[in-house]
Amino acid sequence: MPSLRELQCLFSNAVLAAAGTPPAFALAGPVSGAECIAIYRRTIRENYRHALGATYPVVQRLVGPPFFAAAVDAFARARPSRSGDLNEYGDAFGDFLAEYPPAIGLPYLADVARLEWAIDEANRAPDSSLAPDIALAALAILPAERLAASRLRVEPSCRLIASGFPLLRIWQVNQPGFDGDLQVALDAGPDHLRIRREPDGIALERVTEAEFTWLATLARHASLAAALEQAQRADAAFDLGAAMHRFIGDGTIAGICNER
Amino acid sequence: MTSCHALPAHAGIGLRAPHLRQVQTERPAVAWFEVHSENYFADGGPALAALDRIRSDYPLSLHGVGLSLGSTDPLARSHLQKLARLMARVDPALVSEHLCWSDVGGRHFNDLLPLPYTDEALSHVCSRIAEVQDFLGREIAVENVSSYLTFAEATIPEWEFVTAVARRSGCKLLLDVNNIYVNAVNHGFSADAYLVAIPPEAVAEIHLAGFDASGPCLIDTHGARVAPPVWALYRKAIARFGPRPTLIEWDLDIPAFAVLAEEAATAQAILTAHHALAA
Repeated sequence: MPSLRELQCLFSNAVLAAAGTPPAFALAGPVSGAECIAIYRRTIRENYRHALGATYPVVQRLVGPPFFAAAVDAFARARPSRSGDLNEYGDAFGDFLAEYPPAIGLPYLADVARLEWAIDEANRAPDSSLAPDIALAALAILPAERLAASRLRVEPSCRLIASGFPLLRIWQVNQPGFDGDLQVALDAGPDHLRIRREPDGIALERVTEAEFTWLATLARHASLAAALEQAQRADAAFDLGAAMHRFIGDGTIAGICNER
Repeated sequence: MTSCHALPAHAGIGLRAPHLRQVQTERPAVAWFEVHSENYFADGGPALAALDRIRSDYPLSLHGVGLSLGSTDPLARSHLQKLARLMARVDPALVSEHLCWSDVGGRHFNDLLPLPYTDEALSHVCSRIAEVQDFLGREIAVENVSSYLTFAEATIPEWEFVTAVARRSGCKLLLDVNNIYVNAVNHGFSADAYLVAIPPEAVAEIHLAGFDASGPCLIDTHGARVAPPVWALYRKAIARFGPRPTLIEWDLDIPAFAVLAEEAATAQAILTAHHALAA
């Protein structure tokens, strides 16, 4: 008699096998084994379609439900879930779509998915308790000679997504209730976007490539000097003062990391 | 926060994301709410903030769908830690999970998969429940799941398995009356005999939901109104167990909140009639 472990492995193999394959364990009851397994195969598939449909509404809208369902099914086979929390599943969907042959004619699709995952992450990120003036006060009392080596704290919900396409515009015209001009000029990119959760909801803002590089470097806990160097590589005219003013003012920079 | 640490023996509603805002602003007259624990495992954000506000107005039950109690993979410590963190935050009246498995060999199916009802599975799931209860420092309730197959190896009738789990592990039961009906039809047993086998003192909560009857089996979709034969079985359950906190679950094609409130009112009328009869 197979052990519980063996039965669970056989069940798993049966669900993952091609449709119509009878399971390699014995069943009792009137319905055939292949039919019973087909029911589970279907409920499992539906769970992933629903979960990713909630996370990726714009991707779904762009490709239509049948294409989306097929893409999710292929994704679930290629990158199976590793967590009992379905909310954690789907982070690799953008990377998957970038390589998914049926989506080859939609080169912006992967970036849309990456943006939607970033929005999802921003919605689940820790709450930030620091007001902009507190961040500013912490900076103001720092001696000038220590400023360059200090590390600024990027607010925990902040995400940065870059795309060769006009990603913000694609996202905006595909929001429910959008009633403006639906035309998107695909050559109107690139876009560098800062995503973060604000009290009224998710805010998407375009930033310059240099600002993007600066924020991305700070988010990796690099020093202010290192972030400045990277930003100036993107744009020699990068204005540090203006960037500090903008991103401390809007709360993207939420303070200074404690000195080690 | 309400000081009530038990669910009232009234009808409650399973609260899903589309109704979070409406419930916060309108504060409908519902005896209690239940949410899926995993949907609030986030570190922060608007959903968790909404749950805090709902918890300040209503008793709350946390219902897990992803712990995989019957799995032979190691128990997911990070999942348990997140559950413990959420429990510390909202002080739930009840914490429940499912009598099923969902993962094997590191691969998760994120579905409520059936256990073979054998002595080995019984011992295994009882030790896992004990591990969870030790970790969380409190008793949990476990729910009987709907199923679409019977393992030939099964040696224990489902109702005896469920009863034995409660007796051996000291956990409570979350009795899903719809699942009993679905399984009785799918596997050809008597739903009445199932109810009679369940020890009333173990029943901490009852679930009601709708099923789909379009295929070769009844499928527990949580996507329809409670079916008439399930209401009939629920009346028998309340007659046998006495009034119990009863939840209306609706997770697929979620309707207007008013529809859920109507279903809850039907359950409440049955509970109230029993109270009146007992008085």
